[in-house]
This record gives sequence, structure tokens and C-alpha cells, in this order.
Amino acid sequence: MRSRKYTPKSVTVFISMCILAVIMLYPFLFMINTSFKSKEQYFGAPGRSTASWVKLFDALPVWKQLLNSTLVCAGAISIILVVATMAGFAIAKMRSKATPIFFLGIVGAMLIPLQSIIIPAYINASKLNLLNGYWGAIFVYAALGSPFATFLMTSYFRGIPDDLVEAAIVDGLSYPKVFLKIALPLAVPAIITVIVLQFIQVWDDLLVGLLFIQDPAYRTITVGLGALSAGRVTDIPVLMAGSLISAIPAIAVYLVFQRQLVNGLTAGIGK
Amino acid sequence: MAKKSSLHQQRSRVGIIFATPALILVSAFLGIPIIQAGYFSFTEWNGIDAKWLGISAYVQEFKNPIFWRVLENNGLLLLGVPVAILFPMGIAFLLNEKVAGWKIFRSIYFLPTAISWVVIGMVSMRFFAQEGLLNELLKAFGLGFIKTDFLSSEKGALFAVAITFIWSMVGTNSIIFLTGMATLDQSLNEAARMDGAGNFRIFRSITLPQLNRFIQFSFIITVISAFTALFSLIFVMTGGGPGFGTTTLEFFIFQSAFSRGNFGTGAMLGVILFFMMAILGIGQLLLMRKKDE
Repeated sequence: MRSRKYTPKSVTVFISMCILAVIMLYPFLFMINTSFKSKEQYFGAPGRSTASWVKLFDALPVWKQLLNSTLVCAGAISIILVVATMAGFAIAKMRSKATPIFFLGIVGAMLIPLQSIIIPAYINASKLNLLNGYWGAIFVYAALGSPFATFLMTSYFRGIPDDLVEAAIVDGLSYPKVFLKIALPLAVPAIITVIVLQFIQVWDDLLVGLLFIQDPAYRTITVGLGALSAGRVTDIPVLMAGSLISAIPAIAVYLVFQRQLVNGLTAGIGK
Repeated sequence: MAKKSSLHQQRSRVGIIFATPALILVSAFLGIPIIQAGYFSFTEWNGIDAKWLGISAYVQEFKNPIFWRVLENNGLLLLGVPVAILFPMGIAFLLNEKVAGWKIFRSIYFLPTAISWVVIGMVSMRFFAQEGLLNELLKAFGLGFIKTDFLSSEKGALFAVAITFIWSMVGTNSIIFLTGMATLDQSLNEAARMDGAGNFRIFRSITLPQLNRFIQFSFIITVISAFTALFSLIFVMTGGGPGFGTTTLEFFIFQSAFSRGNFGTGAMLGVILFFMMAILGIGQLLLMRKKDE
């Protein structure tokens, strides 16, 4: 542990960082502060109350929507994990003539903006009757998340020496066995990164949920909140209570898995 | 020899089987729709029946002043990109001083990355409102005469969206630069200092070139976000208004299709957005490849 020196420079840096911290934390402070006020208190009346929290639970089926969010996340992430670990292993360790084209397709798919495909995808899903439950949204989230997850898994599997795989094959293991018994256990850190990245992405999304979940009973919390605010609910403390509760799960995941999130983000920079 | 070739065959056969689920999923929900979008962009389409218009569909849209108004909004948002890169770069330099508590600060700055645009938009709306904190701050600094409801004027609302966007990029971009700074070769700095180079000269000629790759990466992430990540923010904060004041291309796609029922126009705008992003992505790849050689 090196000793800290309190030079004028380090003190200035520290103070700047404190100011910046307040700016970055402002929304959280605002949400906490506002949600514990009634409408009258928000407009200047003194005191605090939990009235807005009570109103929130009347206006929004909070628990049901939190459950919906969880189910949609779980569904999408499960599909992504199955699809991306298999495809990543195929690209990294089971190369054939088709591999470069397939890899190019995956990287190309990462470039497709959601808004470019959303209209045909929406019409297709409606024709396939996928808009009435969770499945439409789950499949779209899974398809959107899979290319980057595959990319991430590919670079991770590339780090496993070819010799290791070949030795296992020579010992009589089949490729699927090598994948399940050797590659997957080694890839747990990358798998966690994928889970964390996708959880935050899906949990926080509005657009896909808004369009691909037509039945309000299946709405996620983020969509429920978006709809509440678009309905021009003017009760700001209620909206802030809702915002806070919708943000808490994602914040919790962030606080626990910060390092994996950063890894996932910087993985795109390459070597 | 025969064994080896059969092993090779087994490998590529299993490889193709392993790749198939990803191929099916991505084709069904991204590949086929993007091709459909290409086709329907040439039609007048209400979601059920499509009438072929051909190239005139595009010509008509290019004559539409609202289309150009929307692109102008995207252009104006791009003006925020340098700020959204340079400001976090400065923050990364501060963090890199590693004063007491820097890890906690790093976590705080990155925290907004975890919350949704819906939440950010709702708070931001109050911040820029008539009675919001921004106006109170302006008053406190003796600038009370500026006091205005930012979201009620076209330019003010776009400004509010841009500031919120820059704020939300702080975490991501400072983490990118902090990662970059960990790769800096300190011995180069010392050598330059021995040769009499000043701080600014060292920054410009030694630090910046080493950070090049990270600047490019943060540039591309920031531009892609500006074009494709702001739907929810705009939806919650301004609804695209007032007028078309904050309608960007991605929001216009949604409006055209789901508010006005012009699915063909929406598909076309989506195709235009796709080409913009593809050109950006390919340009980036070419730039990186050139450097590798």
C-alpha cells in the first residue's frame, strides 16, 4: 500500500470528482427524495410521506410486472446462452469452409439497428401469433443479443488451446462432449458477462416490449412505467417511486457484477 | 491418414450443427426482416396489403421537408458527440490520478449505465422543466433571466435531449478511456520529459496517439448510440416534439409505422438508417485493418 500524498493537485482532483459524483448521482437522489413525498409535498408543502408509494401500487401491478420482466429476461438469456456458446465454440474450435462466412454474418448482424428490422419483425410476429404472450419479445431480445454474445464467446473459446481440444478428441471424446465437459466449464466467466450484459439490456428496454407484448397482463416493469408516463400521469412522486423500483434490480446486478459488465463493454475494442 | 480426414469431417459436420441454432434465430428475426424491409421500402404498405411504388417511394420521401427536418435533428445531436467523448476523456484522466476513493468514484460514474432510458428520461424531464433544478441553478448564478421551460421550444427540447445523452455516455466512455490509459507506456513519457517536452506536448504527441484505438471505439459507440439508442429517451421525455423538434430518424420510423400506419415509409426509413450504420461500421473496419498492416 503506497502512502497517499495530499498535494494541491490531488486535492483539486478529489474535489472535482466529488462534484462530478453529485451530477452522476443526481437522478437517484431526485428519485429517492421525490418518491417519499405526496403530490402536495412535492409542490412545496412540508414533510414526507409514503402516500406516493401506496398510489404506485394502485396504479401499476408492480409485483406482476417485476415478475414479467424476470421471466422475459430469463427466457431471452437462456436462448442466447444456448445459441451463443454453441455457435462460438463452432467458430473457434470446429472450423470448416463455412466458418468465415458464418462469422462475417454474425458480425454483420451486430450492425443491424433494431429500428431497421422492427416493422417487418412486428408484422411477422403478429402473423405467427407471437404478440399475445411473452414469446414475441423473448425471441426478438434473443435474436438481438445473440450476435454480440456469439462474438464474445468466440473470442473466449479462441483462448482455449487447440491442443487441449485435440488431445481430448484423440482420447476418444466426441466434439459435443468436449464442448460440455471441457469448454463450457472453462467459459464460465464469459458466460457471466453475457448474462449480466443481457440482463441489463433486456430489463431496461422499452421499444421491443412496447410492441411485442400486446397484452398488458404480460407487460414488463419498464414498459409499464413508460406507458404510465406516456399516459401523462402528472403525479410526479408516483412516477419517481415507479422509476426507483424498476431501477433497483438492474442496479443490484450492476453493483455485484460491475467487473463483468466492464469486461463485456471493452471486449469490443479487441486485442 | 484416413482417420485424420474422417476426424476432420466429423469436426466440420458437428461445427455446422452447432452453428445452426444461432443461424436460424438470427436469420428469422434479423436477416429475413432486413430483407423484407428492403422490399417493403419500395411499397406503400399498411401492414397487410402492399402496393409497389418502386424507386418513386424514395424520391417522394426525399422531397418531404419533414424527412430533412428529422435528419437535421440527427445532425444536431451529432454535434454533441465530441463533447460526449472529450468530457469523459478528461474524467478518465482524473480517475487515472488514482487519488483516495477513485474506485468508488469510478463505480458512481458508471452507475447510470445500469438504468433504463425510461427512468433517465423521466428524471431529465423534471430537471429541464420550468420549475426544475436547471432553472433554479441558473437563478442561483444570477442568470435567472434565461429561465424557461426548455422542453416547450423545439431547440430547447433538442438541447435537453442532447445534454441528457451526453450525461448518459459519461460512464461508458470514461471506462473505455480508463482501460486505454492502463495500456499507456509510461517509459515513453519519461523519455520525452528527459528530452525537454512539456505536459501538453507529451499529451499531444505521445498520449493521444497511443489512445487512438480507444478514441475510435468510443466514437463509434457514441455515434451508434446517438442514432439508435435514444428512442425510449425521446418517447418519455418529449414524444418527438414540440412539433418535430426532437424527432430523430429512429423515432420517425416508429411514428411513421405505429402512429400513422405508413409501414412502407417506416421500412424505408429503417433501410436508410441501416445503410448509415453499415457505412459507419465498414468504415471503422477498413480504418482498423489499414492500421494493422
